Amino acid sequence: MNNKPTITKKQLPKGVGFWKDGFRRLARRRMAMVCLFIIFAYFAIAAFIYLAEAFNWQLSIVDWSSQVGEEYQPPSKENIFGTDFLGRSVLRKTIYGTKISMTVAFWASIISLLIGVPLGAIAGYFRGWVDELIVWLYTTLSSIPYILLILAFALVLKDKSISFSWLHLGTLQLSGITSVYLAMGLTSWVGICRLIRGEIIKHKEREYVLAARSYGCKNARIIFRHLLPNVFHLIIINFSLRFVSFIQAEVILSFLGLGAKNQPSWGAMIDTARLDLPKGYWWEMTAATVAIFFISLALNIFGDALRDSLDPKLRVQ
Amino acid sequence: MEKAFKSLILLLICLSFITGCKNAAKQGDANEMVLYSALAAKVRGLDPGDIGDTTSSVVASQIFECLYQYHYLKRPYELIPQLAAQMPIASEDGLTYTIKIKKGICFSDDPCFKDGKGRQLVAGDIVYAWKRIANIKYLSKNWWIFDSRIVGLDEFREYTKTCKKAIDVDYSYPVGGLQTPDDFTLVIKLKKPWPQIVYLLAHLPTAPIAKEAVDYYSKDIINHPVGTGPYKLKIWNRGSYIELVKNPDFHDEFYPSQAASGDVQLGLLSDAEKKLPLVDRILLMNIQESPPRWFLFLQGKIDLSAIPKDNFESTIDQRGGLTEDMKKRDIHLGIFRDPSTYWIGFNMEDPVLGGNKPLRMAISCAVDKAKFIELFTNNRAEIAYGFIPPVMKSYSSAVKDISPVRYDVNRARELVEEAEKIYGGKIPKLVFTLPGTDVVVRQYGEFYSRCFKEAGLDIEMEYMDWPTFQDKVKTKSAQIFSLGWIADIPDSENFLQLFYSKNVSPGTNNFNYSNPEFDKIYEQISVMPDSPERTKLYRKAEQIVVEDCPAVFLYHGVAYVLYHDWLHNYKPHGFGYGLSKYRRIDVKKRAAYKDLLKNIK
Repeated sequence: MNNKPTITKKQLPKGVGFWKDGFRRLARRRMAMVCLFIIFAYFAIAAFIYLAEAFNWQLSIVDWSSQVGEEYQPPSKENIFGTDFLGRSVLRKTIYGTKISMTVAFWASIISLLIGVPLGAIAGYFRGWVDELIVWLYTTLSSIPYILLILAFALVLKDKSISFSWLHLGTLQLSGITSVYLAMGLTSWVGICRLIRGEIIKHKEREYVLAARSYGCKNARIIFRHLLPNVFHLIIINFSLRFVSFIQAEVILSFLGLGAKNQPSWGAMIDTARLDLPKGYWWEMTAATVAIFFISLALNIFGDALRDSLDPKLRVQ
Repeated sequence: MEKAFKSLILLLICLSFITGCKNAAKQGDANEMVLYSALAAKVRGLDPGDIGDTTSSVVASQIFECLYQYHYLKRPYELIPQLAAQMPIASEDGLTYTIKIKKGICFSDDPCFKDGKGRQLVAGDIVYAWKRIANIKYLSKNWWIFDSRIVGLDEFREYTKTCKKAIDVDYSYPVGGLQTPDDFTLVIKLKKPWPQIVYLLAHLPTAPIAKEAVDYYSKDIINHPVGTGPYKLKIWNRGSYIELVKNPDFHDEFYPSQAASGDVQLGLLSDAEKKLPLVDRILLMNIQESPPRWFLFLQGKIDLSAIPKDNFESTIDQRGGLTEDMKKRDIHLGIFRDPSTYWIGFNMEDPVLGGNKPLRMAISCAVDKAKFIELFTNNRAEIAYGFIPPVMKSYSSAVKDISPVRYDVNRARELVEEAEKIYGGKIPKLVFTLPGTDVVVRQYGEFYSRCFKEAGLDIEMEYMDWPTFQDKVKTKSAQIFSLGWIADIPDSENFLQLFYSKNVSPGTNNFNYSNPEFDKIYEQISVMPDSPERTKLYRKAEQIVVEDCPAVFLYHGVAYVLYHDWLHNYKPHGFGYGLSKYRRIDVKKRAAYKDLLKNIK
């Protein structure tokens, strides 16, 4: 006799995973989706410029340095954002600036996460003197005014080179934007470090960690395989919100003369336009500001939506 | 509580009384002629021996006088006696200069003198001032003037090194090259001929100073100038304003009666032969930011002003004249040529550029000077073809024809091809070093790099702060660099020495240019007194340099100054500082300006 209860697939309620659920909630927000599209568009432009440069495509839209008309021409049909002091298209400069700004913001975010997340996790998990040391380090760092700290780092890193010969990778020349994103990444990991540390302290007393420990898992496995995936949504949210501040920081640094040297970036454009504005040439300032405005707005709205969808405490239908 | 309140009221009443008095003091007599002017930087000190900055020079030059001064109106610039009775008499070998000094010139009254009455100026005061500059304990910025020039003065400097303190220095220690046979004769003996000495005798640091004043005020002498000039210091409110008043004992000096062509039409001779100074008081306000200076000028609170770059468009129209708004305000424009030249320099010791004249010429052809001037100077400059500015006597417009290069991109490309043949392959990437990292310098860089690229040259721009830039140029490690020179004296020798092979970096010859033919001429002219032959040689030397092309000579500066209708006798001057004595103010017109402003509104 077959007494086994027959369970058909239909009877099992279909489980929805954490991530899938989160993204489903996110997809329901139309505004967030529009913002996501804008963010993708910005990334796509940056990627396109990288490709065009790598394969040497002769495309006029990427060629920001050539003269398209007279100097200081106001916006017209031919030149949507007008021309600058050398008769170059402001539109092309703005598009090219996307590459610099997105690169800087992306790498600065990655570097700050790579430093902040492991340090926060180690501090929260081990506590004791390790925790004290890391907390001491980040409180010291955060007591220094942010812009001054970035400036100091950027000046120290300027025109230096890091040798990767021990990895057979040659040397990395820290000129222009490389020093900018390194400086930003190295100085802005405090927030994420503090956040992860707090979360880990909370999580480490949970049953699943206890279970992992009882199975004899090593500390490294518990941290990286069990704890971090459970706080990963925080990292993603943080990444998107942080991205905006990095774009803005790049603008400020370029404005202070520390940004990209021979290529246009939004900050450099604003810096130049600052002198043109009293003369009534408003279009370069406008173009750069509009570019920054849309990406900042999109990232902010999307970041908020992401938090609402992924953070269990804030989940709303 | 009540007591405190009463004292507060009392204090307020006192304060309003004090400020009221101060305002009254500022306004003074309605017919009193007061010149209001602004200082763009802080005045560091008023001790002529240690003045190295322009702002302090402007103030101190109203109080101190030199042996010679520049004629106010004549152009090209000409020296005339000030404290001296006549022009110096040079010996035939050019080594001895005899200078007679005017009698009856007195220092202004000051407590440092016996009974507070200023004594007569003697030749010994000049010797004292110069020995003071030589005194190493005094640490003057101006020793360069006399370094290895005057017989015995370097030995005097050596002697001061043996003294422990500045007070221990004995100023009676003899200097063979500075003699005073009588109180009104100065004999200067030089180590080698130095014809430019006359210009330095009109340079503020060489002004005489009274030993009594230095002894009386000691280190505080920088705040207590005691001179022979037309004005005396009345108030120096540090960081706020300086008030100068007419020196009642000023010797007889008269407004010039000769002028350059066109000056009569401008009314510059209407005060001819009047006793100087014409203005009773001078108020110099310290306003370091350019916007408030500009607004005070528009409101008529200061009498003259330069044009800030941001306000240029609203001040000067397309044709280079004043805009309607400025004309309505009865504002006048003064334009004058700076004794300056700006260039793109080549390091002649660089392996790529040094031996490749077509390459240097290609770069010269590639740079659009007219466009540069239009974009970055608001057209306030003249295209340069050589290094001698048009304001100099030895300038010749023929240099335009000598100069082998004009802006021509096609010619530049041809020359690059020629240069590549000499180099033996494609010209490698060139490095252009610019002083400064700010946005304007970056704009220069973007402009230059486009010019280079159009000619088919690969270029990398390098921006650095001024000390790093200087270091790079001085150690001969800059390949192409942007620099300029503003002459201190109206003698082109000042420019020629920049190309002399013995002055190569770290000296002033940043091009590391060396041409035996040029050197020979330079050595000849550096000891020659002013003469038509010397002028000819200057031009020949310039021609040699221009043909060798160690630099792209870009432009000579032109300065614009605005002044109100009530300020008379204003003529811009490239070298002189103590010029306030010539100005005159129409007090009524100034008073009427308020109504004019109302009408405009």
